[in-house]
Amino acid sequence: MRKVTETDLPGVGIRFDLQTDAGRCIGVVAHQTGRRDLVIYDERDIDRACESVELTEDEGHTLGELLGGSPVLEHLDDAVHQLEDIVISWITIDSQSALGGLTLAEAALRTRTGAGVVALVSESGSTPIPGGEERLEPGDTAVVVGVPSAVKAATRLLTLPAT
Amino acid sequence: MHTGGDLLIIELGAVVLGLAIVARLARRIGIPALPLYLLVGLALGEGGLVELPASAEFIEAGAEIGVILMLLMLGLEFSTHELIVNVRRSTLAGIVDFVLNFAPGFVAGLILDFDPIIAGLLGGVTYISSSGIVAKLVADLDRIGNHETSVVLSVLVIEDLAMVLYLPIVSGLLFGGSVLSTTLTVVVSLAAVIAVLGVAYLFGDRLSAIALSRSSEALLLTLLGGTLLVAGLAGRLNISTAVGAFVVGVALSGEIVSRARGLLLPLRNLFAAVFFVFFGLQVDTTLIPGVAVAALAIAAVTVVTKLATGWIAAGRAGIGKPGRLRAGAALIAHGEFSVVIAELGIARESNLGALAAAYVIILTLVGAVLYQFSDSIPVSRPRWRARAGRSS
Repeated sequence: MRKVTETDLPGVGIRFDLQTDAGRCIGVVAHQTGRRDLVIYDERDIDRACESVELTEDEGHTLGELLGGSPVLEHLDDAVHQLEDIVISWITIDSQSALGGLTLAEAALRTRTGAGVVALVSESGSTPIPGGEERLEPGDTAVVVGVPSAVKAATRLLTLPAT
Repeated sequence: MHTGGDLLIIELGAVVLGLAIVARLARRIGIPALPLYLLVGLALGEGGLVELPASAEFIEAGAEIGVILMLLMLGLEFSTHELIVNVRRSTLAGIVDFVLNFAPGFVAGLILDFDPIIAGLLGGVTYISSSGIVAKLVADLDRIGNHETSVVLSVLVIEDLAMVLYLPIVSGLLFGGSVLSTTLTVVVSLAAVIAVLGVAYLFGDRLSAIALSRSSEALLLTLLGGTLLVAGLAGRLNISTAVGAFVVGVALSGEIVSRARGLLLPLRNLFAAVFFVFFGLQVDTTLIPGVAVAALAIAAVTVVTKLATGWIAAGRAGIGKPGRLRAGAALIAHGEFSVVIAELGIARESNLGALAAAYVIILTLVGAVLYQFSDSIPVSRPRWRARAGRSS
């Protein structure tokens, strides 16, 4: 993903800025209330928001879909949510992974690492709580749960070539 | 039948309706309502056009509640975490802001032959910009996305936080006795503030969970009762009621914050307006001509020093010249805190009240206008852009 600058707006929320190759600057203000402002900066005075469009949460999601396929999923790629000492991670299965193409039963991820696959997400849809016959197709995303070390081991198996 | 009670209600009704009229007027011409509220107060006070014999006491109590609610709502905007991050990030801007803008008031106070503590109050009056007015200007002009806005908000947060230390110190100095007992009061009150902020940091979430209630009525009463109690105790300890209320606001976090905002906003609007009227009432209007020149001079100096503050702070954040100018202009408006500070010393030095009233009126108006036109090309914005907000 491109580099996005993040700036705190105390009492308001967070502002994200993106500079395009053509030299324009676009920003999003994420309010604490869930409201989003889409901001276009002036060409001559790059600090000035010459246009600011207020979006509800729902409108923001829709615009995101229109602009970039499924940015939410991409974002989830590297999102790791930590709950006390349990980690949930979204891992895109790499084509080089030794487990790519195997069924969950064949891969035996839980026996090997201690981390379980709680959902598989592919372009055609998602499978929550997949059975042993579901396949780990390269390119799909596996949602993995476990203690940090287990999830780390599972991530290695699903993204790196076998050594 | 005429009783005192009837008269009280009639007076209050007339005052509040008067405020409604000036609030509409302010909106129509596009300026903050605060200076007009002060003018209403000036017009009604001693030596003014009409006097308010029956409602004076009520207005005084209402004014105190107004300060508490203003500070509680301000505190709600921030979490302790946010405050700490901000202080770390913008310490230098905060110091520049304090040095450049406390000095004009303090020096002017000494020149005017006020005693040093009162001069220190005047320094506070010129130091603190109005978070309330600035936040509203930023939103109304659609400048939340502007790059310099984060710098402006950071400076305002540091100023508000500085008040948490400043108010207990000046209260201690004003109301303390001997040097020893005053020092003791100041030290104790600062320790208390830090202790309470520590408690807020550690237990804020739990307190918020306890205070939360599904019933709006119960929640409102809990918030109001709890805050008044804490603020009152803080006032008793010379920490200042305002600081007590601010800390309560900071301590609350999570779901309770958005509910509290909705519930308290109407009350805040009413009582804050009452507070500004009350301040105006206390000012001896006959003194204003005598301090008018001084007020203009101090205002002129502060316009320059605030512009410099914004220019420097935004420059450090890598913002271009037009943005640096806007940041400076944004910081010019002075308001609620300046009045709160002046209110502390008005009993001791009546010239301070007159001076602060004139000063705040000048700077809110100048600040609002300069910020609006701080863009190199003064474009008047189409109305639909600012009012496009729509709930779904």
